[in-house]
Amino acid sequence: MIDALRAELLKIRSTPGAWVIFGLGFPLAVLGLLFVFAASGGFPGHTFYFADSTRLQRELLGAGYFAIEVLAPILGVLCITSEYRHKTLTTSLVLVPVRPRVLGAKVVVTAFWSILIAALTLVAVGAVGLPWNNALGGAATQVTDQAGAVLPGLLASAVLLGLFGLGFGTLVKNQIAGILITIGGTLILEPLLIGLAHAIFHYNLNWLPNRAGAALAGDVARGIGGGGGGGGAFRLLTWWQGGLVMLLWGLVPLTIGYFTTFRRDVT
Amino acid sequence: MTAGASPRGLPIEFTGLSKHFGPVLAVDNLSFTVEPGRVTGFLGPNGSGKTTTLRMLLGLVHPSAGTATIAGRNYQDLENPSSTVGAVLEATSFHPARRARTHLRMAARAGGHPDKRADEVLDLVGLKGDAKRKVGGFSMGMRQRLELATALLGDPDVLILDEPSNGLDPQGIVWLRDFMRYLAGEGRTVLVSSHLLAEMAQTIDDAVIVSFGQLKAQGTLEEITKGLTGIVMRARTPEADRLGDVLTKAGIAFRRLTNEEVAMDGVTPEQIGPLLASNQIVLYELTRDGGDLESVFLSLTSGLGFADVNTLSS
Repeated sequence: MIDALRAELLKIRSTPGAWVIFGLGFPLAVLGLLFVFAASGGFPGHTFYFADSTRLQRELLGAGYFAIEVLAPILGVLCITSEYRHKTLTTSLVLVPVRPRVLGAKVVVTAFWSILIAALTLVAVGAVGLPWNNALGGAATQVTDQAGAVLPGLLASAVLLGLFGLGFGTLVKNQIAGILITIGGTLILEPLLIGLAHAIFHYNLNWLPNRAGAALAGDVARGIGGGGGGGGAFRLLTWWQGGLVMLLWGLVPLTIGYFTTFRRDVT
Repeated sequence: MTAGASPRGLPIEFTGLSKHFGPVLAVDNLSFTVEPGRVTGFLGPNGSGKTTTLRMLLGLVHPSAGTATIAGRNYQDLENPSSTVGAVLEATSFHPARRARTHLRMAARAGGHPDKRADEVLDLVGLKGDAKRKVGGFSMGMRQRLELATALLGDPDVLILDEPSNGLDPQGIVWLRDFMRYLAGEGRTVLVSSHLLAEMAQTIDDAVIVSFGQLKAQGTLEEITKGLTGIVMRARTPEADRLGDVLTKAGIAFRRLTNEEVAMDGVTPEQIGPLLASNQIVLYELTRDGGDLESVFLSLTSGLGFADVNTLSS
């Protein structure tokens, strides 16, 4: 398993697409910060305002969730679909013929890189968000004091969103389709379904991947894909419910993908 | 080839191997053995089931029936698969943005081999100077060499090569031929599939011929090509009339092609040579048409039933 893991780590490290996804973590996290400061401002004379409540301070610290919910699943998709796209799966399975071992190594590597993306978003918060908050009149310590409440959930959410992407990629196999569906699902489909479910059925559709991930991350999500999305009455799951649902979103597609496509003949 | 202990040749055994892809029977009850220390050609036209058979051996395709084993074990059950078997399956299975050395290091790690093996095998296949180049810029021949380098990382006892000379230039083909002979000479088992028969005839010791997924012939190259009725000997001689008399007395069927040329049916060089010598017939040229690997292959794979498989392998 260690050999497979070392190989997978080098594989993803030498895939340019993975670095592009990783690199996007920073600007997207900055975009998330914009949403947070805009949410705290918006009153006359203050387009942006510092995080002046515990909730906003947590949202500031978790501003990277916007980047994580988009990028971690794409990374998971890339991790498996590049094998199909470039036909490297043949070599991978000849070198490590025990298929669960290959997939297991991909799970670990996806989780690791998802944490790296989350860490980069935290760097963006530290490098841009905290100085900006200070400039607006806030105090950095008020934000960093919330680390214990935000970071474990944020990192766990990143890992499970990554695994969701890996499982989804195992199912669809086609890289372009996998990435487009992931982006479309996060930014368009999920908010749309949530809005429709709320408007038509008055139902809290809060168990879809990104909303469940937001719940696990401690309800810190803002931005296009984050937040309620269903109006003021929308309620996220509790963090542990979100964690369980995310675990299912991570493991179910992966299990189905393993049994339906990954175990199939490689011709 | 220096990675570990001296190579051991291991037998490969296919027993009643079959594979259905939906209604298509790609491999049909295939049984044969590949011996160590020899280069065995696995020959058949496109779509005859060669690649599927090799992929079943490597656990990439699940057999519908039968077994394919290396030293009696499934590939997946081998203790160190990439130290036991090296496989060259397709020259397109590379990430184009990955450098040659990175690809090999990745493969070395997966197989549990030290990183330094990457440079060793790059040197071995003549790609040392291209180690830092991205594979996307490689020619087909270079990719084949890189694929071979990947297969050699574990200094394997068995080499499985699927159409390895595709895309190689003439120098590359000669190099590959010598390399396969060298590996077999070390005692390794070399199984190579191809449809390039002239090339294979110069390389292999044994041949396995398949068509439509079925075994058509197996044996040494000599066994497979001997005793064939399709051989035609052509002689060019200034004494064509006298040669005709000699052949008539010997009961050998012949045809006059030109004033100087005579074609003799169903005889081998070993039969006709002494006959001409004993009758002191001047020869300008004596050539053989048919009876070579290509003729056997074409006969067996076109369904003409040149020879019975049992005869050939007995």
